[in-house]
Amino acid sequence: MFIYEKKLQFPVKIANPNPKLAAYIISQYGGPDGELGASMRYLSQRYAMPYPEAKGVLTDIGTEELGHMEMVAAIVHQLTRNLTDEEVRANPGFAAYFVDHTTGVYPTAASGFPWTAASIQSTGDVIADLTEDLAADAAMV
Amino acid sequence: MNIENGGSCQRPGCPDHSGTLPPCAGLAVPYVPFQQDDPQKYDQAEALSNGTLFPGLNLPFHLKVEGSDLPSTPLVELQALEFVVLELGIYLDTHPDDAEAFALFKQYAAMEKAARAAYESRFGPLMKSSAASGDRYRWLQDPWPWNYQQNEVK
Repeated sequence: MFIYEKKLQFPVKIANPNPKLAAYIISQYGGPDGELGASMRYLSQRYAMPYPEAKGVLTDIGTEELGHMEMVAAIVHQLTRNLTDEEVRANPGFAAYFVDHTTGVYPTAASGFPWTAASIQSTGDVIADLTEDLAADAAMV
Repeated sequence: MNIENGGSCQRPGCPDHSGTLPPCAGLAVPYVPFQQDDPQKYDQAEALSNGTLFPGLNLPFHLKVEGSDLPSTPLVELQALEFVVLELGIYLDTHPDDAEAFALFKQYAAMEKAARAAYESRFGPLMKSSAASGDRYRWLQDPWPWNYQQNEVK
């Protein structure tokens, strides 16, 4: 069960749009080591976890990642807020995203590859899963 | 233990008979220091700014430790308290018998509850359940969390 809290975990208040930066940051939303993958990874892996301490950690961190996902989405939204036609045309890095999604927030990697569960793993083997978590979290740093 | 380089182990059952490793060395000895009970902690504003409650976990990024500058608004103060409750909660998952951390958890949870009630009475509900206690339905009122403007006073 999850309940929505109508606030972000950390303030996001961006004054100036920057579509070029948004085209990079979107990967932290829907890329292979982004927040969507992180939350799905931990919240799926916890069912195979036999130890209460680690059930707690996977549940609590998986939930926190959902909050991170919301912050990253808010950053992308605000970086593309009130864009002018010229700002879109002047940023070829963002134009490819704009073709399909305009300024909608869509879970995709910066490469344009849409979010896929193929970039996470849930093996049912605790050690394999935790090792995968280490790799994914190291990639995020 | 003999850690001379270049030796070769004559003992039967040694896993590595040749090479430049010390004789009979294990191939790798990784270790992960476990976070000990009652670790040093930041106050709530510093914790939110640094993204961790624990100085011991605040590893340098690009060789420097640098928190964010945060405005001091009612929302940020609530976010800071909530962050400490969240951090202590995860810490207690792996250190459930740390009595001092649990006492601090209770203390911060009470502070957060009071701050949340004060915030909601001024600015509207943060939880759907609090929307039931107003004189009218205020859940839909702006700003939504992703719609904050740079000079938002909240």
